[in-house]
Amino acid sequence: MDSQQKDPRRDGHDPFRFPKWANAIRLPVTLAAALAPLYILGLLYLLFSPGATSVGYQPEQPVPYSHQLHAGQLGIDCRYCHTGVETGAAATLPPTSVCMNCHATVRTQSEKLQLVRESFATGMPIPWVRVHDLPDFVYFDHSAHVRRGVGCESCHGRVDKMEVVRQSAGLNMAWCLECHRDPVPHLRPEDAVTVMGYAPDEPQFELGRRLRDARNITPKTDCSTCHR
Amino acid sequence: MPRFMKSAAVVLTLLALIPLLVLVKDRVTDSERPRLSLVYDMDDQDKVKTQRASELFADGRSMRPPPAGTVARDEPVGRDHLRDGRIDTLWVETFPAPVTRAMVERGRERYGIYCAPCHGLAGNGDGIVAKRAEALMEGTWVPPSNLADATVRARPVGHLYNTIRHGIRKMPAYGSQIGVDDRWAIVAYVRALQAAQAGSPADLEPADLAALGPPPAPEPAATTTQQ
Repeated sequence: MDSQQKDPRRDGHDPFRFPKWANAIRLPVTLAAALAPLYILGLLYLLFSPGATSVGYQPEQPVPYSHQLHAGQLGIDCRYCHTGVETGAAATLPPTSVCMNCHATVRTQSEKLQLVRESFATGMPIPWVRVHDLPDFVYFDHSAHVRRGVGCESCHGRVDKMEVVRQSAGLNMAWCLECHRDPVPHLRPEDAVTVMGYAPDEPQFELGRRLRDARNITPKTDCSTCHR
Repeated sequence: MPRFMKSAAVVLTLLALIPLLVLVKDRVTDSERPRLSLVYDMDDQDKVKTQRASELFADGRSMRPPPAGTVARDEPVGRDHLRDGRIDTLWVETFPAPVTRAMVERGRERYGIYCAPCHGLAGNGDGIVAKRAEALMEGTWVPPSNLADATVRARPVGHLYNTIRHGIRKMPAYGSQIGVDDRWAIVAYVRALQAAQAGSPADLEPADLAALGPPPAPEPAATTTQQ
């Protein structure tokens, strides 16, 4: 009986042979095996590209401060609070006392401002969440950009329309270099730096070129400009 | 081909699409999560940068407040006229430096940033913040002064300077936001605003008066400055 083995090719159960139908899936399986690494690489690229991770970062803040109200509706200049922006590397968040300039007498009972009042009374800082956070090996200087006429809006977007601040640019190196190679699209007169929704009277490329030549703006692209 | 192979292929393909869909969703929506970093220990180094939090100190600040009595590097020590607007107990009546056009222009810009929200662009106390605060009718709000009022016009420039630096009544101190030079520039611009509203044609140089052309016949309209 043992010698009367069935032909393995007929029922397809020989563990040492591929079944016949394997021929039919040869092409799809080969393709899948070849494309899978590409697909995974593509996913990784998307995962770490600025579009997926940086743009649209909108953390919840400890105090529901609205730029849309303060900078938009009330039209308070950016520099009223961010006083360091013209003179230092950091634009600086205002101390609680600046909030209290107004809120010592306006909306003194507001629940939303509870933390501000506590901070003012105790001296403990408000734990604001940083939105625009460059890697620590990048040395960005706000004053260098603002004083050459790069508008706040160019990097931070329409903050005057943001109820909660949202990162609107990737802030990745390719993005920085784009402007360092050709700053013309982002140059404005110095008195329009904090203007939101800036619309020059002349074509931007003419204005930008004129300002670039007048102020001799030649952004560097070598490594040590930003990495030291 | 066994039947399960076909369904397995379909299921696997769909599973493989899930990460792609998640990433595409990430690209088109906002997120409360910060950026992913490949080299997190280089992106976020254990070092202190401006306004970074620190666990080392009880108040969580890495930037330490200066000890009492610290003199800032650029503080004009010993120059009372410039720094205090006051010599001994008397408010100074003169500017510490000659008033130039550049200084007044600078003052106008700074005035627009720090003062106009309450005092208004023309200094009449009708700034947009003041208007809104009044509309709230909370009872805690005190309207800002009209800078063209006779009382404010009569103040020595040193007093105006001191008001910017230390505040007055309900007006908060702006010394931390506005530096010494800018405070004087704003005072110069406030003087210009006052002259624009309370001055008379006789105050002008003949050449400037001629440049203005003939005076308007009807009653003077409300003055507004343009930003």
